[in-house]
Amino acid sequence: MQKVVSISLNGIAYQLEEPGYNQLRSYLERAESRLKDSPDRTEVMNDLEQAIGEKCARVLGPHKTVVNEAEVARIIEEMGPVESAEEKAAGAGAAPEGAPEQESAYVGPQPRKRLFNIREGAMWAGVCNGIAAYINVDVTWVRIAFALITIFSWGGMILVYIALAFIVPTAETAEDRAAAFGMPFNTEELIGRAKKNFEKFGSDYRWRREWRRQQRHWNRQWHQMSEQVRQATAQAAPQMGTTARAIMSIFLPIAAIVGAVLFVVWILAMLSLVTQHTVFGWGLPHGMPLWVGLLVLVLVYFAISAPLKAIRHGGREAAGSHPGWGALHGLMWMGFTVLFFWLAYTFFPGVRELVDQLMWAADLTVSNISETITFGSWD
Amino acid sequence: MNISEKLAPIRKGLLEFVILKIVAGDKVYVADMLKLLGPTEFATQEGTLYPLLSKLRREELVDYEWQESEAGPPRKYYKLTQKGRTQLSTLNDYWKDLNRTLAEFGN
Repeated sequence: MQKVVSISLNGIAYQLEEPGYNQLRSYLERAESRLKDSPDRTEVMNDLEQAIGEKCARVLGPHKTVVNEAEVARIIEEMGPVESAEEKAAGAGAAPEGAPEQESAYVGPQPRKRLFNIREGAMWAGVCNGIAAYINVDVTWVRIAFALITIFSWGGMILVYIALAFIVPTAETAEDRAAAFGMPFNTEELIGRAKKNFEKFGSDYRWRREWRRQQRHWNRQWHQMSEQVRQATAQAAPQMGTTARAIMSIFLPIAAIVGAVLFVVWILAMLSLVTQHTVFGWGLPHGMPLWVGLLVLVLVYFAISAPLKAIRHGGREAAGSHPGWGALHGLMWMGFTVLFFWLAYTFFPGVRELVDQLMWAADLTVSNISETITFGSWD
Repeated sequence: MNISEKLAPIRKGLLEFVILKIVAGDKVYVADMLKLLGPTEFATQEGTLYPLLSKLRREELVDYEWQESEAGPPRKYYKLTQKGRTQLSTLNDYWKDLNRTLAEFGN
């Protein structure tokens, strides 16, 4: 059983199987985009529709009322790719019967709008850029969302990013870039593309091996350092039972305050870097791309907060391991974070400006998304 | 690269000339033009032909009239305009000159 779509071609109704309809729609959309600079666009489109209609009529009869997918594919092939006559006049030297890859692009359902990675102006693979185009919001917001989710998922989002970089196709032509979303791509296509991209990535074997080696090295160093700090703290505060507990009850709030201050300053620094391209008024060194600046901020934050965390854990061990300490610290940290955000907002005009700017843009983003949804839904 | 591929741009450039020649005869419908061109080196498709015809019409070299068809909506039948006729004879002359030049270079 096939779903049938009724269409009107130049005033005459035809019934097409749904996959065929999708093919035809994308063919006509492509034709229209090819002709977008031609003054004859409307006329040529009408001519094409009529020609397609006549070809449809030819396969229909009193006992056949629906044009099937294969027939639509054949009709599209017969019609051939639409070339603007203006391009021809400019002397594009392509063979009329050539351009095989162009031809194949017409076959198979080509969604009108779909998700792409957009490399132009991208920080990494253009995933955020593509999503921004897809939901019609400024890329900054997608990046902030990605950054926040990355923080709260303890880096898990980075895996999602990498997966998207491989799975989502990269917009290579202007037409691709013009597209945003539409039908979901099918699973087979998705897996195939991910495999292909991964192979391409994996073929650079030396680079990969080198990267892995470097990563292992960093990991080892990092663990060694954390472990040393933790042990040192545990030893510095020898098993003193109640005394240690007393020290902890003073130390823990301090640790929470320091941690919260660090976190708030870090988040505000990231925000100001993303929105104003400066960290609290200090511009990035000349020639440093934004993403390097963000990366440096992330590294600096972890470089400062990790030893603190190690000290805290060491102290906790000395005071006798108790899960209550961790929960207590978490609560205090959260409370202080909220407090410091509020203080910063109230007493620093720069911060208020930043937040207001954020709110304003968030408003815009929400209205953009709802607009996209309203306009997208009747297609 | 074979000969056909090598000369593809030439055929492409000549298509307009060929269309003018076809339209110079009786009024023709696009499907008939395609049928005429099909077996020749100038085989082409609707996707190319319609934009070209629209351009020629905008340049006032061809015009069309609507004719009822026994099935479906009325069809456009193309014919040459006066301006098109002048253009065609210029192109014919030019083509003869080209052939003469080629002949002069010998084999």
